[in-house]
Amino acid sequence: MITLQMEYRKIKRKKIGLTMCAMMSIQFAWLLWASKNPSEKELLQGWLYNLHTQPLLCAIMMPTVISVLASRLADIEHKGNTYKQLKTLRTAGALYHAKVLCGFLFILAMTVADYLFLLALGYGHGYVGNPDLKAYLLSFVLQTACCLSLYLLQLDLSLLFFNQMIPLVVGLCGSMLGVILMYLKTYSFLPWGGFLSSAIVMMDWNPATRIVTYYYRDFSSVELFALCMIAVWIVLFYTAGRILFTRKEG
Amino acid sequence: MSTQNLIETHNLTKVYSKVRCVDSVNMQVPSGTIYGFLGPNGAGKSTTLKMILGLAKPTAGNITLFGTPVNEKNRIKLLKQTGSLIESPSYYGHLTGEENLQIIQTLKGCSEKDIDKVLKIVRLEEARKKLVNHYSLGMKQRLGLAAALLGFPKLLILDEPTNGLDPAGIQEMRELICSLPSEYGITVVVSSHLLSEIDQMADHVGIIRKGELVYQNTLESLHSHAKQQIALRVSHTAIALDLLRQDGITATQEDDYLLLPLVDDNYVANLCRQLVSQNISLYRVEKREKSLEDIFLSLTGKESSL
Repeated sequence: MITLQMEYRKIKRKKIGLTMCAMMSIQFAWLLWASKNPSEKELLQGWLYNLHTQPLLCAIMMPTVISVLASRLADIEHKGNTYKQLKTLRTAGALYHAKVLCGFLFILAMTVADYLFLLALGYGHGYVGNPDLKAYLLSFVLQTACCLSLYLLQLDLSLLFFNQMIPLVVGLCGSMLGVILMYLKTYSFLPWGGFLSSAIVMMDWNPATRIVTYYYRDFSSVELFALCMIAVWIVLFYTAGRILFTRKEG
Repeated sequence: MSTQNLIETHNLTKVYSKVRCVDSVNMQVPSGTIYGFLGPNGAGKSTTLKMILGLAKPTAGNITLFGTPVNEKNRIKLLKQTGSLIESPSYYGHLTGEENLQIIQTLKGCSEKDIDKVLKIVRLEEARKKLVNHYSLGMKQRLGLAAALLGFPKLLILDEPTNGLDPAGIQEMRELICSLPSEYGITVVVSSHLLSEIDQMADHVGIIRKGELVYQNTLESLHSHAKQQIALRVSHTAIALDLLRQDGITATQEDDYLLLPLVDDNYVANLCRQLVSQNISLYRVEKREKSLEDIFLSLTGKESSL
């Protein structure tokens, strides 16, 4: 617990929270713009529309946001050459856990803010009916898990490489991949595809009538497997990161 | 095992890509001393110290700290009684000196009052509220020492603490290190590739060469190795050698000189008279002393830097 507290003390003046807020506000602005002036039909399907749009935006935005977060948390240690001192005061495992937890709490705050914004948006626009809170909660859990898997990957890279350009480029590429995956399939086994694999609302667009219909996804076995891959990535990135960080000599 | 030794290593070895960087080192650091760990660049000093601190895993051998063999379970507990400054100081540049020390103090679990004490010792009281990014290298080095001193550990491990400091900073750091055993009861291990530096600070010395500990004893004992000789340069070396042999003096020839053990002044005067009486020209009579540098070079190899 003390090690975790120290993580927050270390990032004083680094304005990580502010940076995350700024990046999240881009996502909020995008969502606001995408849902402006809803039609009557759109108001009817508004709550489903939110659950469909949110993973798409996350797939584009979150890899970059998370890479910036992980990089900023790891870079303070690289710049100050501090691990050789910290590793004489705490075990490498405890230091790694503190970094994971510190970043995860930021991610959790961002995801909570994201879903609260979705609810506020729905009520603000006057979407018909009430949100299906169970579906929103499920979506929240799945999106948070995706963010965690990506955060672990980015943190591992940021801790391993002194040059933070490498993990940042991976993050940017992940964002681009998010866009590409949107046009390819609705699921993917890659870590960056997790947002789309875990989307619980799908869209059907009828080219003849040009009508969009949103519906709850009935996960096929392949899609369920893709969903399980999120858990696999979390375990894999956590284990690999912990081992590599522990074995890294100061 | 002797309880007087704060550090003992037994056949400590580290192999990096088939190169034995540290080879069966048996280091013994007595309590209450300043142990100078001397060796040329790349000899294995930092690697040895890193292994003692658990920052590098030994390939073979073991380490005993404060009389207890170190393992993964007790490492952090044992290191709580230790302070260290390895190669360059560790710091968070975006935090003030005081904030940096607060982090270390919390992690070490020592008293907050220690921060004021160590800042006073390293003379950084006035710069405590300044961001470390705005510190000079010397100030950062002193901050590193302050962090190592937090909790006033029994053992302080300093790896090349004067690296990058100006002469005044070196002098200041040296005085500070020398005062630690007497004023705070701290045993200090200080590594350096500079013999003069160790000569001015340490009372025990370990010399490492190509990963092997080639000498370990008191500095006094190292000084006693400094051999005094009389050097003669004459026109006929062979005749002079005969004369010396008749007197029962074993001399060796080195370049144009005859080297004989330190003899008394009367014998030297007699010898000179005899040489002149036999028409041998006497060019030079010198008293030579094998310096610490010579001893260091003979132990570490001529190619080593001082």
